[in-house]
Amino acid sequence: MLKIENISKTYGEKKVLNKLSLDLKRGEVAVLMGASGTGKTTLLRILNSLEKADCGSVFLDNKKLDLEKINRTHTIGIVFQSFNLFKNMNVTKNITISLEKTLNYTQQKATEIAQTLLKKYGLENHKDHFISELSGGQKQRLAIARTIALKPKVVCLDEPTSALDPMLTTHVAKTIEGLAKEGYHIIVSTHDTHLIEQLDCTIYLMENGKIIEAIPSQEISTNNTKYSKIKRFIAGSLEEKV
Amino acid sequence: MGYKVNIEFLQAHLPALLRGALVSIQIGFFGSLIGILGGTFVGILQTTKSKIIKFFIVAYVNIVRGTPMLIQIGLVHYVFFPLLEINSSAFVSAVTAIGLNSIAYISEVIRSGIQSVDKGQIEAAQTLGLSRIQTNLHIVLPQAIRNVIPALGNELITLIKDSSLASTIGVYELLKEGSIVISRTYDALSVYLMVGIIYLIITSSLSLVMTILERKTKLKC
Repeated sequence: MLKIENISKTYGEKKVLNKLSLDLKRGEVAVLMGASGTGKTTLLRILNSLEKADCGSVFLDNKKLDLEKINRTHTIGIVFQSFNLFKNMNVTKNITISLEKTLNYTQQKATEIAQTLLKKYGLENHKDHFISELSGGQKQRLAIARTIALKPKVVCLDEPTSALDPMLTTHVAKTIEGLAKEGYHIIVSTHDTHLIEQLDCTIYLMENGKIIEAIPSQEISTNNTKYSKIKRFIAGSLEEKV
Repeated sequence: MGYKVNIEFLQAHLPALLRGALVSIQIGFFGSLIGILGGTFVGILQTTKSKIIKFFIVAYVNIVRGTPMLIQIGLVHYVFFPLLEINSSAFVSAVTAIGLNSIAYISEVIRSGIQSVDKGQIEAAQTLGLSRIQTNLHIVLPQAIRNVIPALGNELITLIKDSSLASTIGVYELLKEGSIVISRTYDALSVYLMVGIIYLIITSSLSLVMTILERKTKLKC
């Protein structure tokens, strides 16, 4: 169980996160929704030690995590919106570099792990290609493979469909569900209502740095008036797209 | 009235000029080595957050860039080395001065290269647990150097040409050998033409190497 408790973050006078709390079981998907600037990405960046929270704590299986050292423990991983794959390395090296340099795996062992992951994500024919030679979907699958190669307990995906062709949304949803089934705690930040429709997840609506409503994804299409804010937000997003 | 190439004159004086060219290349090579290694180190240091380190580096770069290299070579040979009781040859003084000068310029080139690397690359390395040194060594520097190869090439060509200033402290490099030939033959036009052509061959070869290097690294990125 991942427990995020009272995380706050202020930039200047703007409170981006305001005592945000969230619980997530192993194998569950939490989707953070909300307008731009509501703190979705900031929360993911804090969880990955790219920003420092002003206050708050994160627990995993009742153990408090030291977020400043989180990257060295590989407990939490992130797949970036623009993937941030290493441009000077080929596909295989993008995965093996962290295994060799941070876990001290031999080149052979790291390459074996990379090959298994590349096969899993349909990239085995691109193992020697450079990043500029990959399509958007391939880049994303490689970014996911690179993250899970380190076997984190929590995987964060920041706007996973924003840099991709809308046709790939179903594929991304399947990949995320696959990760959840493997037992990762998944946190997704997204605006993409089509992605949410295809995910078995809990949707958290964020406003002014807080979660103002949470809803299981199955409830979106029901007539239950309990979750009016999220439904209005999703309906608004769909109208914008039309 | 046209200029006629005198083959005998060429045959008589070319060996001396080539001997000088070899010394110029040696100064250029060792100066570049100091410049690239030191410049890379200082370039990385420039991206640190320490204000004290930044202050000293900015001061060093400004002093070097703001004074003629001729003075720097003279200071190293006639002031700094004697003060430090280092008994160096004119060649070593010239290489040291040109290397130190080159560090300042190349560090600026490397700094701009490092700053041109997408911040996302560094963040990705950080989230994968790579240390700062590993990130610089495996991610940032290879991309930064690729970005600055054209600018680096310009610096190295300038350095080769600046090696001619070593003649002022008595290093028998290409220009000095040329001056000796002129003093013997009084044919400044022929000698300067030959010296110019040799410099052109050296710098053009360097340009070619840098272009090949640029093309090779581009293929990979």
